[in-house]
Formats: sequence, structure tokens, C-alpha cells
Amino acid sequence: MSPKSRPVIGVDTGGTFTDFVLMEEGRLEVHKEASTPDNPAKAVLAGLRHLLGDASADVVHGSTVATNALLERRGARTALVTTAGFEDVLQIGRQTRPAIYDLDVQKAVPLVPAGLRLGVRERIGPDGEVLAPLTQEDLRALVERLRGLEVESVAICLLHAYANPEHERIVLQALDGEIDAFLTSSHKVLPEFREYERCSTTVVNAYLGPVMSRYLSLLAEELEADRVRIMQSNGGIIPVEAAQQRAVQTILSGPAGGAVGGFEIGRRADFRNVITFDMGGTSTDVCLCPGALTRTTEAIIGEAPIRLPVIDIHTVGAGGGSIAYRDPGGSLRVGPRSAGAEPGPICYARGGTELTVTDANLYLGRLSPEHFLGGHQRLPVEPVREAMKAFAAEMRISPSEAAEGILRVANATMERAIRVISLERGYDPRDFTLVCFGGAGAMHAADLARSLSIPRVLVPQAAGILSALGMLLADFVRDYSQTLLLPCAGLDAADLEGAFAELEHRARGEYEMEGFAADQLVMERSLDMRYVGQGYELTVPMVADFETAFHDRHHQRYGYSDPQRATEVVNVRLKAVGRTEKPSISKQQLGSEDASAAVMSECTMVFDGVERTASLVNRSMLRPGNAFAGPALVVEYSTTTVVPPASRCVVDEWENLILELVTGRQ
Amino acid sequence: MSDWDPVTLEVFRNLFYSAAEEMGVTLCRTSFSPNIKERRDYSCAVFDGDGHLVAQGEHMPVHLGSMPLSVEAAIEHVPMEPGDMVVLNDPFRGGTHLPDITLVQPVHLEGEAAPIFYVANRAHHADVGGVTPGSMPLSNSIYQEGIRIPPVKLVRRGEVVRDVMELILTNVRTPIEREGDLTAQIASNRTGERRLVAIAEKYGPDTVRAYMHHLQDYAERMTREAIKSAPDGTYRFEDCMDDDGQGNGPLPIVVTITIAGDSARIDFTGTAEQAQGSVNAIYAITLSAVMYCFRVIVPFPVPSNYGTVRPLEVIAPEGTMVNARPPAAVAGGNVETSQRIVDVVLGALAQAIPGQIPAASSGTMNNLTLGGTDPRTGDDFAYYETVAGGMGARPTSPGLDATHTHMTNSLNTPIEALEHTYPFRVRRYAIRSGSGGSGRFRGGDGVCRDIEVLCPCQITILSDRRVHAPYGLDGGEPGKPGRNVLVSLDGDERELPSKASVSVDAGTTISVRTPGGGGYGRPGGREG
Repeated sequence: MSPKSRPVIGVDTGGTFTDFVLMEEGRLEVHKEASTPDNPAKAVLAGLRHLLGDASADVVHGSTVATNALLERRGARTALVTTAGFEDVLQIGRQTRPAIYDLDVQKAVPLVPAGLRLGVRERIGPDGEVLAPLTQEDLRALVERLRGLEVESVAICLLHAYANPEHERIVLQALDGEIDAFLTSSHKVLPEFREYERCSTTVVNAYLGPVMSRYLSLLAEELEADRVRIMQSNGGIIPVEAAQQRAVQTILSGPAGGAVGGFEIGRRADFRNVITFDMGGTSTDVCLCPGALTRTTEAIIGEAPIRLPVIDIHTVGAGGGSIAYRDPGGSLRVGPRSAGAEPGPICYARGGTELTVTDANLYLGRLSPEHFLGGHQRLPVEPVREAMKAFAAEMRISPSEAAEGILRVANATMERAIRVISLERGYDPRDFTLVCFGGAGAMHAADLARSLSIPRVLVPQAAGILSALGMLLADFVRDYSQTLLLPCAGLDAADLEGAFAELEHRARGEYEMEGFAADQLVMERSLDMRYVGQGYELTVPMVADFETAFHDRHHQRYGYSDPQRATEVVNVRLKAVGRTEKPSISKQQLGSEDASAAVMSECTMVFDGVERTASLVNRSMLRPGNAFAGPALVVEYSTTTVVPPASRCVVDEWENLILELVTGRQ
Repeated sequence: MSDWDPVTLEVFRNLFYSAAEEMGVTLCRTSFSPNIKERRDYSCAVFDGDGHLVAQGEHMPVHLGSMPLSVEAAIEHVPMEPGDMVVLNDPFRGGTHLPDITLVQPVHLEGEAAPIFYVANRAHHADVGGVTPGSMPLSNSIYQEGIRIPPVKLVRRGEVVRDVMELILTNVRTPIEREGDLTAQIASNRTGERRLVAIAEKYGPDTVRAYMHHLQDYAERMTREAIKSAPDGTYRFEDCMDDDGQGNGPLPIVVTITIAGDSARIDFTGTAEQAQGSVNAIYAITLSAVMYCFRVIVPFPVPSNYGTVRPLEVIAPEGTMVNARPPAAVAGGNVETSQRIVDVVLGALAQAIPGQIPAASSGTMNNLTLGGTDPRTGDDFAYYETVAGGMGARPTSPGLDATHTHMTNSLNTPIEALEHTYPFRVRRYAIRSGSGGSGRFRGGDGVCRDIEVLCPCQITILSDRRVHAPYGLDGGEPGKPGRNVLVSLDGDERELPSKASVSVDAGTTISVRTPGGGGYGRPGGREG
């Protein structure tokens, strides 16, 4: 298990590039390989060969195979077995439409069509009591029907299976060996109440399982299977075999890697409260980490609810490629339409004709035309100037006002995203550091931080490959839960011990099989609680006085609590962490403040309508301890950092850029 | 036009909208009524210092036009000071129907006497008293529908007025749950207040005031653009409600729309006199339905505010089903008649802008209320839900199956949550296949929802489109009307009318089968 002498490699498959980070004895090597969407394994294997040759390593892989199969509806042909009379629950969902004021609103096609949804006569009640037993005859008939449907995968979701999984087990047994398909049952994937969400989560797993299995088998054949770990949406890793069984847990694997990377880099630099900010071409991901990575069980991906714990990443449709336009009411709008990589922004000179956020940055001097992608591609400024002039004339403002306007509107969308994850959840952004990465993050971070009164921005040393790095810094994580729905009156910690012990027993068993020693395991217990009669739960750590912990959390989150009101425990949760040895990133000695060696020249940037002369700084020449004042523009291969006036940038021991902002009273 | 810039406008649109949304999150997540927490039957909104709507969360369309009238009524009837909140539900003084309780709060900046904003939220409570549990009765006057709360202070200078709270709680079936919901509503307004004060401090009160007005002007311009795209002319459409639950029907709803340039007159003259039963809409409902129709024909997302209504002149003759006078029964006006008002307005617009308007959707919210005493606890319960139907087919695509349409978008209650909380057993929840009207594009199918009660219960169903089907367009067939069927323990089936209230024994199943949407285009060239 211990990776002491072996090198470790983090691999993150992205839409354009597959990123690799190799760590060996404190040394870090970065590599990028063009992605191969038809067969993602090709790029992965090519990159590994490039870095390793014939040597072996532990590989942690963030895969988009499951995500893409779900979004593009290219999963397995899947059947669904439900309680008779409830075959359509998957399609009805919550009976709502996704947009209220859109007459052309469409809903995602269900992953299992009506003809593949089979009801079986049986019924279990809310307390787990059997109201109608399964019959052998019906089970035989079910097997026959399934054989005729030629499915690759079968999901089983029966009513109240969280309270009593017996019927699902019987169905599973009846199908096992009789049907040549991938089998998934809801009590194993998510033993929690609310039938639609449980069914959806189970079906997603069934739909993706065969696809993920095939992909990982292919990789495992080429590599030694035991060396590969898979990054999960919950911020932890699991072995290949487990990922094949639980494909649903890998859906947000890339973004989760980014959040883990951002948080861990912040923590090493002594900033425990961070907000990660990953701005790409079409969208931006933000994640709040108040001393720890936060997780949610309310993710919806490709319109399918997934109730498993995932890193709580909030995504908005604004990125560097977002298109600016003026609507008929005269308002300046940005996105969600994006120019993407093709044709891309006007300045990419690949046929794009509509102004984007990146073009506005270029216009204002916040992107250096000479230093884009290490200077390999010179960005043409003139076409952007012309387009901006025409756009501004329409609005009867100056071109630089228009360009700054585009940035302000894009920032407003991102500001709203950060508001949702901080203020709306009872956290004050002033207590946080903004850790930014992704191609465009560091151009916007300072403005964004300032409008939210965030005092500090951290631009990691490896901002371009942070997801891949994050994968190397992750532990093994397995989540377990069980719905109890128990009133708290007269309940104490000892009464919950049985339920927790059972989850822990399962966790230890699974980790033991993978060779973990007991002292490598950390068990984190928590409770989903609510006031009796509420419809949403808050998760609180399992402590002796869990009721008080719940009242406090409710007060923090919603501004009030009522200690007189009865509470209940909805679910018990266990997060079982298998600690691994992390590669160490070496800390460097702080040197002199003098950054003049890194200053290449002067450039011009526009802030609040005023042209300012700024220093153009080469990041690769900066040394720990260097410090300089804004305005400045720091360029490097895959990102650009804007250091605005009235701020100061220092390079820390890990070669992160730390921007200290002067913020107004708020 | 010269004193605003397009960027700041967009920034403020975001700010106000997210304040309203955030109020909604607080309300939804801390409330107790299934109607609020699971079904999300609530709305939250931000108003300027004159009480004119600035931004409303994407919650319930049926509250679009009616929230401003609540704020107006609160301002008119109660002098409010900083820290006060006014509660109301009286349909004839700012309410809609009695289960919808609204809380209005002025937001003051320090040192300013006049409020800079108002915030308000409205939530559908599970019970507010009256003749049947759930307070959605087949009544013939408002006095049977529950406690009627005129605009009065529920919070004075930050403290809950206990007398008023006790008066309300004494008149409802489930007081503990009610108090929890009202507390959640108070917290929701305070969330809005906090956020808005921060915005005003950051940008300065003058800028904030100015941009509230600019946003209203902006919404007005957008709506006028959309109206201008329709040719000038007069377009008439008529449809009807099956009955009023008191043996009277059908009840015609008639609209004549006159488009002149960039404004429209929507005249309901010819609509039935106000009914004896509880299907009367008050003016605010009619206004909401009209605003919704004009909102959906604007091809861009427009903020819902005071500006949207300015180009519209709504004529709803007093004493008719679309502008009822007291003491009319109104429980179903909000949920049923509002849908038919949409059907006729869209029907008329389909003549003005053909190829843009869908066929009729199910046209009913299928309000089902179950009340009794839970044998497991001995406590009284009142459970209310609405059931989705089929969406009307669109000019370029089929209607969606089993989806709430037009004036509602409330969620279903999970079966596993329902059976855990109430003495019910859900027997079937399925798409009612074949109920959508055929056409070039097929109307969406309705739903079959069968619930068995495990103890003696009072079952009330307030529905429509059981006789008169949702219309098809451009040659498409109508959707299939719905059915309400009572199945006894020994399997005997009994058909119930559109609106019925019956006492049943344990073991009885109520089967609600909702209407399908109308089809679009002649069935020959079938594509959907």
C-alpha cells in the first residue's frame, strides 16, 4: 500500500488536455497530452509512457468517462425493476418542469425508457414491514422478461427498500447468474428514503457501470491493475474494482480533484478557510472549504439527481468564452452561450466574431497578446478593438467602458455563485482566501475578491494542473449511510451506536480486503437531522449532545433555531477514510523582496476607466520572498494573473502568489 | 434612458433576484407544511419604497401579479415602522385564497424615515381552518373557508405579537405546524432585509433607488417589444369550467384581446357571473394569469416586476368569476380558474401569433385534500397535494408527460415520505398513457395517482377538465378529460364529479386520473 519509494502520478482527463503530475522524492514534473475523446485511455497511456518509460508508479486517475456517458446519453442499455404500479416514478420525477416561463421547455429523456421498466408485485411498508411478499412465480416471470430485453445492465429499486432490503436481495439473487448483465440495487447504492432520488441514483450507477467497467478493464490490462486508483466525486479515491461497481461515484471526479488540490494547497500555506475558484472556457466552479472540504447530497447532473455525498461544487455558466450581447431591453448580458474552443473568442483568430470575456480582458490589457500559452500564439488585438468599438457605440459608451462592463457582468454571475455557497449558508467571505485556478481564474480573482470583501487571493504554483495534483493529495474515502427517521426525544448517543457500528463493520471489511491496517483508518460519524416535520436535513457531526449541535447549525444556516421544538435523526452517515502517505511538496527558503529580475517590461492596463502603466512580470523568474505592488500582470504558460492597483503580491515558500487586497469597509 | 448604464442594470438585476431567491431558500428549507417544503408552493419578492415589484424569485407564477397587491394592501391599511411585519390572507384585501398567508415587511436604512424597500413572502399553509381539513373546501362563501386575516401586525419592532399569533393558531387544525411555518416566513423576510441593506450600503441608496426604477422600465420595454411583434387587431377566445361544485355549470370564461402597437387590452367581459361555489378568482389572480401569458411570449428572460404590467390593461368586470366580490367562495379560483384564464388568453394569442403558442395543457391542478385522525398517534392531520397532468403539444415538439404547467410548478411529495408521515398507502403512481391528444405533435399524458387511506377520512377533490377537454390547436385532437374514482375495499368503483367531498372508510382508495394535454397539428403528419 505504501507508495514510499514508488513514484506517483495524478492523471486528469479534460476536454482538451489530459494533465499529468508526477511526484518523485519531492520533485514535481508536469506534462500535458492532447485528449483523445474517442478513446480516453490512449492519451492516458501515452502520457504515462512519456513520464515513466518502463518504470512503474501508483496512478491516481480522474476520469470523465462516466460524466460524458451520462451527459451524452451513451450509457448501457439498462432495465429497471420497481414495485408494480411505480414503474414510471423515474420518468415523472418531481412532476415539475425545469423552466417556468419557457413554453418550449424540455425535460431530459429518462435513462431507462418505459419499455425497459418492469414492475414486480411486492410491497414493503414505511417501517420495513412486508405487506405483500414476492412470489417465486413472479420472479421466474421477471427473469424471462428480462432475458427477452437483451439489456446490459439492470437496476433494482423497490419502495421502502432502505427500511428493509430483503425484497431487493431476493430479486438480486433471482437475477444473479440467470441474466448476463451488470446488477445494481438501491439498498446497496443509497439506503435512504425518497424513492425518486434513490431510484435516479441507482439507475445512473446501472447506466454507467458497464461503460466504466470496460474502460477501466482496458486501462488495467495495459497497466498493473493494483496500481490504479480512481478519483471520486466525494473527494477521495477508490481502487479500480470498487469504481467499476460504483461508477456513479466518479461523475465529478475532475472538479473534485480541483477542489481537493485548491484546499490542500491553501492548507499547506496556512490558509484553512478557502473558497476555490476554477474558471474555465465555458463555466466556473466554486467550492467553499471552511477548514474542510464541504460535501452535499443534493447534486443534480444531466438532470439526474444523485444523492450520494459529493464535494459541494457550485457551477455557473460563465467562463472566458462566454459571449457578450445586448438584449432588446438594452441590458448588457454575458453568457451562458459560449464560443467554446471552436470558433473561440475573436482573439483566437479561428473564425469567432462575437465578443467574449477573454476578448474584453485582452482589450483592457489584462491578457498579454505576446505571452499567451508561453508566447506560442500571438493574439491579434486589432479585430477585438474594432468589435469592441462597434459594440460600445450601440450602447453609447466608450469601448473601454464596454470592455470593463463585460467583465463586471461576468463577475456578477460569479459573485452570485460565491454568494450562494458562502453568505446563503451562513459563512462570511471576509474570513476566506480565494484560491483560483483554471485558465481564466487569476485574471478575475482580484476583482471578484474585492466585490465580496475577500481580503486575499492565492494563485497556486501549479494553477494549470491543479486537478491532477489534487488527486495525489487525496485519501481513500468511502461513504456509508442509513435512513433511520428516529425522533430525538429520549434518544441518546448509545441508541445510535448499533447503526454506526454496522456501517463501520462494513467499512472495515472493505478496507481490510484492500490491505489497509486498522491504524490507517479514520471513521467520521455524522447525522442528518431536522425539526420534526421539516423536509430538509442539516448534517451535523456525531457528538454526545447532537441536538444542541443541530440547533446551533440551524441558527448559523437560517438565522434562527427553536430549542423547544422536537427534532429527529433522518440518516446516520459514516465517512470512512483510508489514510495514504502523501507526496511531500518541498518548502523553499524565503529570499529577498526584490522582484526586479522577473520584471520583463512595462504594459498598459485599464482599471475603472483609467489607463495605468503596469509591470509585466514573468512568473518563472519569481523567487520565494519576492514582493511587488499592483498594477502588474504576471504571465506564465497556462494562466495570467492580474494584480490590480492598491494591492500587493508576494511569493510564498511554496511559490504560490499571494495577493493582499485593500478592501473597503463592509 | 441616459441616466443608466447597461452594465449596472445587469448587476442590479442579479443582486435583487438573488436576494429574492435567498429568501426562498430560507423559507423552503425551514418550513413544516408539505405544501411549502416539498411542493414549494411559495413566493418571495423585493419591492421598491412605493411598494412596486422589483424582483420576484422563480417560484409560483400564480403569485406574479398578486404579491404587489398584498404589499399595496399592507401599506394602505397598516402604518408600518422599522422592524414591523404585516400578516394577511384576506383575498379581498391583498390575499389570494385563505391558505396563502403573506408577510410584508418594510426595510429601512438607518436614519431614514421612509422605507427604501419592502420584502414579502407568501406560502401555502396546509390548513387554515374552515369546513374541511386542508382548507380547500367545496364552499359557497368565504366564511366556510377558514380564518380570514386582514392586514395586521404579526411582528412589532422585531417582536412577535403573541395576541395575533394566538388568534391565528386557535383557528387552525394543526397549530404547531402553523407556528413553525410562520416562523420560517419571518426568517425569510429577515434574510431579504439583511441582504438588501447590505446592497444599499455598498452601492448607496440613491443608486439603488434609481436602478430599481430602471429595472422596471427595462421589463416594460421588453414586454412592449414582444407585444409589438403581434399584429394589431382583436382576438377573442372562450372556454369554460366544468362546474362550481354546487351543481352549476358549465361556466364560460371569455376574453377579448386588443393589440394596438406596443400595448394590449385584455377584456374578460362576457365571463360568467361569480359562482356560488369556490371557483371564483379575485382580480389579483386574473392579473397574475395575464402577466404570466405575456411573460412567456417574451423571447428573453425578463425580470418579473412592475414594468411587465404597465403595457397591459386588464378589464375584469366586478362580480364575475374573474373579479369576485365578497363574500364569494374563492378557494379554487387561485388553483383552478387561474389555469382556465391562461387557457383563454393563450387561445386568443394563438390567433394573433400562430405558430408560437402551444395547445391547452391539462388546465387543472387536481387539488386533493385528505383529513382525519391518525390512528397511530391520535393527532388530527390535513394533507393537501396537487397532481400534475399532461402538457399541451407545442408547434415544434410534443407536450411533456406528467408535468405541472402554467400557473403552478409545485413538486410532488415523495411516496416514502408520505407513507411515513400519514396513514396512507399509495397504490399506484403512473403515467396515464394515451391521455394526450393526438396530432402532428402529441399532447403530454396525464397521471394516475391512487392513494388508499388506512383510517376513516374526509376526501375533498377540487379539480376540473373532467367534462370539458383541453383543446388541441391547428387541427390537433383535444386531450382526454380527467377522472376521479373512488374504489372501496371490496373493489367497487364509484365515479366522482370534478369537485367532491366525501367521508370514506379505512381501506378506500381515491384514484385521481389527470387530463392529457391537447395535440398540435393534424394527426396525419405525425411526428411526436
